[in-house]
Amino acid sequence: MKRPTVSLAGAWHFPEPQVLALEGGTQIWAFDLPGQHIAALELVLPTSLSTEPRPIEGVATVALHCADEGTRSNPDGRISELLELQGAALHGHASQSHTSLGGDAPAHRLPAVMELLAEVVTEPSFEASDIEHHVEMQVAAFDSRVASPDWVAKQALRQVLFGRDSREGRPVAGTPETLKAISRDDVLAWHSTQWRGGNATLVVAGDLAGLDLSSALSPLNRWGGDAACADTAPQAHRPTQIVLVDMPDTVQATIHAGGLTVGRRHPDWAALKLGGHAMCGAFASRLNLELRERQGYTYGVGGGFSARQDDGQFFVGGSFRVEVAADALRRLLDGLALAQPFSDAEVQDAKRYLIGVAPLANETASDIARQAAVLAAVGERASFVNEHFAALELPTPSEVTSAFRHHVHPDATSVAISGPASVLVPALQAAGMDPVVIS
Amino acid sequence: MTDGRRLDYNLVETTLDNGLRVCVQPDPVAPAVAVNIWYEVGSFDEDPTRTGFAHLFEHLMFQGSNNVASGEHMALVEANGGSVNATTSTDRTNYFETVPRGALDLALWLEADRMSSLAITAENFAAQREVVKEEKRQRYDNQPYGDLLELLVAQHFPADHPYGHLPIGSMAHLDDATLDDVQQFFDDWYRPSNARLVLSGPVEADEAFDLAQRYLGQVPRRDRPDHATAPVPALPSRDTTTHGNVPHPLVYLSWNTPPAAHDDHLPLDMALSILADGHTSRLHKAVVRSRRLAAEVHAASLPHLRSTSITTLMARPTDGISTDVTAAALVEELARFAEGGPTDEELARAIAQYERDWLLQLATVEGRSDLLNDAWLTFGTPGHVNQHAAELAALNVDVVRDAVRTHLLATPSTLHYLPSEVSL
Repeated sequence: MKRPTVSLAGAWHFPEPQVLALEGGTQIWAFDLPGQHIAALELVLPTSLSTEPRPIEGVATVALHCADEGTRSNPDGRISELLELQGAALHGHASQSHTSLGGDAPAHRLPAVMELLAEVVTEPSFEASDIEHHVEMQVAAFDSRVASPDWVAKQALRQVLFGRDSREGRPVAGTPETLKAISRDDVLAWHSTQWRGGNATLVVAGDLAGLDLSSALSPLNRWGGDAACADTAPQAHRPTQIVLVDMPDTVQATIHAGGLTVGRRHPDWAALKLGGHAMCGAFASRLNLELRERQGYTYGVGGGFSARQDDGQFFVGGSFRVEVAADALRRLLDGLALAQPFSDAEVQDAKRYLIGVAPLANETASDIARQAAVLAAVGERASFVNEHFAALELPTPSEVTSAFRHHVHPDATSVAISGPASVLVPALQAAGMDPVVIS
Repeated sequence: MTDGRRLDYNLVETTLDNGLRVCVQPDPVAPAVAVNIWYEVGSFDEDPTRTGFAHLFEHLMFQGSNNVASGEHMALVEANGGSVNATTSTDRTNYFETVPRGALDLALWLEADRMSSLAITAENFAAQREVVKEEKRQRYDNQPYGDLLELLVAQHFPADHPYGHLPIGSMAHLDDATLDDVQQFFDDWYRPSNARLVLSGPVEADEAFDLAQRYLGQVPRRDRPDHATAPVPALPSRDTTTHGNVPHPLVYLSWNTPPAAHDDHLPLDMALSILADGHTSRLHKAVVRSRRLAAEVHAASLPHLRSTSITTLMARPTDGISTDVTAAALVEELARFAEGGPTDEELARAIAQYERDWLLQLATVEGRSDLLNDAWLTFGTPGHVNQHAAELAALNVDVVRDAVRTHLLATPSTLHYLPSEVSL
């Protein structure tokens, strides 16, 4: 039977939020999404981890996870029970550039959920026993992470790219040493200086029909004050390295490679997103076809460009059986050299995927809220999404090729590997690479 | 929650002449259409001396067919702005792509081409066997506690039971397999009569049936294969200790529970949620916060279609507390729960949480089509999805308490997973 032809519909657009400001200064982005009966909330606090005092790194994470253990009005876990009764679940993450506290709940219950969320945000009780519990949980989580080859390689690459003296080069949720130093006073101080309404953004997405938005949001009306902003010094350029963390018992080499690049506001950004997809983002990407489908070296290779606050990062990684890891890395770096320019078909497929998948990637209220929160956190407007999709249409294959060659080069790509050093070091040396074993 | 209880998807079913069952859930406002095929074959259907075949097909099915080149299936779907993947469990292998409405014909054509003419070649087999080995290394052998599931399953099923091995299978069996073995497995199970297709998205039922007939209706009819009947395993509960290169001691209590379709599963799910879901749960309050014998407690179920399922409670003991002491505390609290049952509020919270998670899964066409197929295989009708909220609403504290009394008061199997240097 003949292969059917495909007719794709017209352009999709990211919805435009209604933007308001509460009395205390909190910006509200409200997305009315008919039919989305499970609403999503994302509260963005633009507080940087570089503000954490170095001896108590992890305090942002502990404060976040402790916040819904109890409030002054509903102590000893009652606040969480009340949220559960409303069908709400909270989640949160303290990242390098911001802290987000979000939740999903039935849209028609938003007024009650907002009252409870406001309690969590403005009057957490931070009991000493709860802090002690969450410190223990974070220490245990750290111990689990350092046993995971993937996290070890990821953290090693961060250390190479940013250096241990930079907050970004150290673990996001602290280390056992810094976590165990966190006191109740530290958590209270972090909350009172960093969880401030004046520079926060709250994204609300869902079927808002029949909802009196300003009344629903009123519990946060008087939440104000500005958080102190950290000085963000531009990241110093660091030398390219291949580093290896010895994990003697592992059966694979986990390879993370990459480097810092320009970010979302650079004229090459759209071309880089297309090139990254063609190189290592798609299942049918160059590197996945070579290293998985042709060589059978790995379960999969993935990566691409991601935007950061002011710049961007290129990343590519995968796990390879130890015997072939050196050859896999050689092929991977050779691939990044882009000896063969991107073809018309590769760039066309990347455009069709990155633009075409947008409606699926933004199908639920939660998808929309999370995308909007990422933009709010870096000071962009929601309309950036549509500007970016328009920009993706434009680059020619030769522009994608030259942007990729300009911003990514094997010699400027750092590599972090976790795996058994006794096998990997000689193999990498034999393949002409010179790894530095780090702890 | 009212939204869930009003749930009433329009589901239209038909069976093509070749035996393929088709269900359409028209959703005119959805951004794309989900094409979701469940082949009723999983690791349960494998010869226990030749395991890993069902999962191997999850890979081979993307290696090309008469009119599709190796890897082209995924590339075509992605290049049309779609998403595509597949997974293998004990009881089924699912293949799914979500594509813009204008690419629905292409997606169905791709499914038909591989159903009728999969390219089972020595080259494809050899390459994917290596990829599967890397998958096993990455997901199991190279992870702390990577053999946990295997150890847990071995406490409940003998190795020669159809549920006695994991879908990833044995790499030695895959090495020993011949191309004829692989071809035979495809011929036995990849038949229209052994598959169910769910389409969810902006397509009307009549049009969807026409398209299904035009493409998948061309695959030759073959009789529906029989599945083995699985005995209820007679293994007594056991106490197992294992050591590994892991960061923390863990203890797992596990029980034999009924097959997935049994009425007691929903009340048992609610009981597990009340006992161990989050910081408001019974066991967290009692064993973590109050008695300080564990740092965290969780629960999970491993449902099986054709025989005994497994239900587990897991805890990470507090520093200095043995896994035996923590396990004993879990059993005591469970007995207390079985005696008094949950409070009305505890059950209301568990239901509200379950309902939200369930509605979130239904919020995407991909998640919805997969839940419809799950209901179809497990309960015999995709329409079970429409009844589920009412079942949830009909629960009461006595039903939940009785489910625990019936299934979780027997002596559990206990698995102690300890760091290498720690003794029990």
